[in-house]
Amino acid sequence: MASPLLSGSEVQWISAGVGFNCRNDGRARDEYRPLEVELGVLAQATGSARVRLGETDVIVGVKAEIGSPDPDRPNCGRLNFAVECSPVASPAFRGRGGDELSGELARALERSMYPGPSGRGGGLDLSVLSIVTGKTCWVVYVDVLLLNIGGNLHDAVSVAAKAALADARIPRVEVVPGEDPTDEPDYEVDDDPSQAQRLDTAGLPLCVTVSQIGRHCVVDLTTEEELCSSASLQVAVNSSGAVCGLTKRRQQGLDPSVMLEMVEVAQRAAAKLHAALADTLAAQQAQQMAVG
Amino acid sequence: MAGRDAQSVPWFAEERPQAVLADGARLDGRSFEEFRSVFLKTGVISQASGSAYAEFGRTKVMVGVYGPRQSDRRQGYSERGRLACDVKLATFATRQRGIFGQSQEEREHSAAMQTALEAAANLDSFPKATVDVYCLVLEAGGSELAVAITAAALALADAGIELFDLVSACSVSRVEGSLLLDPSADETHREDGGLLLAMMPTVNEVTQLVSRGQWSGAELKDGLELAMGGCAQLDAAARQCLREAAAAAAAKQAAEDGAAAAQPAAA
Repeated sequence: MASPLLSGSEVQWISAGVGFNCRNDGRARDEYRPLEVELGVLAQATGSARVRLGETDVIVGVKAEIGSPDPDRPNCGRLNFAVECSPVASPAFRGRGGDELSGELARALERSMYPGPSGRGGGLDLSVLSIVTGKTCWVVYVDVLLLNIGGNLHDAVSVAAKAALADARIPRVEVVPGEDPTDEPDYEVDDDPSQAQRLDTAGLPLCVTVSQIGRHCVVDLTTEEELCSSASLQVAVNSSGAVCGLTKRRQQGLDPSVMLEMVEVAQRAAAKLHAALADTLAAQQAQQMAVG
Repeated sequence: MAGRDAQSVPWFAEERPQAVLADGARLDGRSFEEFRSVFLKTGVISQASGSAYAEFGRTKVMVGVYGPRQSDRRQGYSERGRLACDVKLATFATRQRGIFGQSQEEREHSAAMQTALEAAANLDSFPKATVDVYCLVLEAGGSELAVAITAAALALADAGIELFDLVSACSVSRVEGSLLLDPSADETHREDGGLLLAMMPTVNEVTQLVSRGQWSGAELKDGLELAMGGCAQLDAAARQCLREAAAAAAAKQAAEDGAAAAQPAAA
């Protein structure tokens, strides 16, 4: 990522501001920038969302296709996460330059939202995506596009992915068995949008990145602030406060007690973020109903 | 569901067990807070600046450390040194044959290992230079990444790279509400949640933490405590291994000096 150069005195200024609990843009340490969520922005997608968190701008398109289930989980659908770092956002993403970041973001989403090998721990009930056990299911592709990078990408991407999944409407499918029992059955996809079902996304977690600047835990860093942070912990938290994924980033080590404090800060921040997102989703969906 | 339709699973391999806890005990007879048999050895690759081999039960990992060497020009100038970590699972390490080239999982493991080790190495001691840490998992019998990080820290120490402390890492799996230290592959396969903790036990700093699955606050605390205890045990084993290697090297040196001193007298 092309990052701005920061002088020693700028670093000192930002760190001191964090110490006084008054950051450059006037926020407190545990405060997010204003979050804007827009649903249904892509006509071609099953569900879509655009999320702006300060300067950070990401767009997520969800597409559902009929495919075959994972042999380990024959009665579940599949979710697939991909992130594209467009060179629009930063010239450093030219060629294969964005691969590392996109892999990191996609795996972080997958780890927090998709169940592990035992089939437990995921936030979505994937069995609703099954069509014929062991044969066919919905494969839901969640494609994230980064439009502008203004700090705290992980959190913005997780909010956008959840919003887009909440926006998605999966059509009803009727399985018509062939005349001969050995024939492949036919699938009739109901094109009536009012019959379509929404996914229950209430259990999906949101990611909160808590970073250490000086001795303080700070959330939602801007690009400049990210350069002043020595260690950060990404915590995925679901709406009931359970931790669904942890990853430590950046070079410095962390004291175990500070680490537990960061998890608590993340749980508090996530509760607010979940509430804010739920309000926006409800408002936008009501608006869509009124228009549609 | 029979796992047989998955390609390249060994024909005579046993099926994965349906339950990994029988009557509240682990299948291999370990207690919940017990490691598999641990074997650590340094100096296994003669060409490398430093190397280590680690075996935890069936998980076998080899690490070679090369460098410091001049950093690639396209990475730009840096006053601090860099660690370049590369974790590779041998194609025959897992039940299903792996791929040549770097898989998504390996890329993630490499990044996680880099974060785990960078905090421990004194990067200021080799500015503008890169130390390469190549790690090869020969057999993935569970907790590969944790074993790899422990072995890589040993290899860095063997290479004489300045470290603030040794790093040791261990995994914990939560199965049916019980916390299992150093899970095997079968246990990880059936887990409800898992976490990996890498830390520097003497300076008491966590350098990497990765978790999977859902954890409540109290469970997470218990899991971390168990992992911290595990790291402290591993740290003792790693230090013992380094001491033995140093003693062996000193003995060898003394024998050579003795032979050299004896030779002129004979002539």
